[in-house]
Amino acid sequence: MNMVIGGAYQGKLKYAKETFQIGDGWADGASCAPKDLLTCRGIWNFHLLVRRMLQQEQDVDALIERLWEENPRLCIVTNELGCGVVPVDAFDRLWREKTGRVCTELAARAKEVHRVFCGIGMVIKK
Amino acid sequence: MIHLITGGSGSGKSAYAEERILELNGDCRIYIATMYPYDEESRRRIARHRAMRAQKRFATVECYQNLEQAEVPRGADVLLECMSNLTANEMFWPQGAGENTEEQILRGVERLRRTAANLVIVSNEIFSDGIAYDSGTREYQRTLGRINCRLAKLADRVTEVVYGIPLEVK
Repeated sequence: MNMVIGGAYQGKLKYAKETFQIGDGWADGASCAPKDLLTCRGIWNFHLLVRRMLQQEQDVDALIERLWEENPRLCIVTNELGCGVVPVDAFDRLWREKTGRVCTELAARAKEVHRVFCGIGMVIKK
Repeated sequence: MIHLITGGSGSGKSAYAEERILELNGDCRIYIATMYPYDEESRRRIARHRAMRAQKRFATVECYQNLEQAEVPRGADVLLECMSNLTANEMFWPQGAGENTEEQILRGVERLRRTAANLVIVSNEIFSDGIAYDSGTREYQRTLGRINCRLAKLADRVTEVVYGIPLEVK
């Protein structure tokens, strides 16, 4: 498993496609069906997938285990949340914190983690 | 030694900071807790951090404001967590330091530095979401930003933790 993280609109998906040579087979976390996650080669907007799952009160940790078991060569692209002021809305607080915890767990397991800034990737784990 | 550790919410900075104290292998570990338990959510956060620290032999010193008054044994390894709460308490509590927050906190850090053998300070990245906040929140960002800069200058080591991965800044 590999991860590409960074702020919004930094060119993360393009970078991930080129770096890990994954042209198609991407699932969009904002809209994809759960079954796509187990067969896709990459997930982008992973943070929005976490948001959807929390809204539907689904178990994000269980999904991580399932991805790790059944789709371990996956590339995960996510916005790096949690670097702003603590949100007033309780659900937003839950979302950013949960995304952080889940991504920390994924980063611990990932083979490589790249952080993209202005389209330029920095390898922070290899 | 002063080590400043910063990172976003849920980035694993606390776990990383605790590990730094543990690897010093000192006899006396002090945890300066700055989060005031004012509601259910903060109580849950505190409970989570307490569970993380259990078995690690930290003595907890609660300090919600006025860091200069925090009593710490000489030669201790001190983990101060975290600067963002302490700053908010000083700025927004009626009995807090108000506009003297920055100086008040820096004096407290100077005193700790003289007493402690090692001081690990956890702070927080709250600067990168681009949302235009009200003037009070902007002033808070400005104050914490200035405090972080001054702490980084004092520090021997500065680390940003990104999803559990330490990036050495200084």
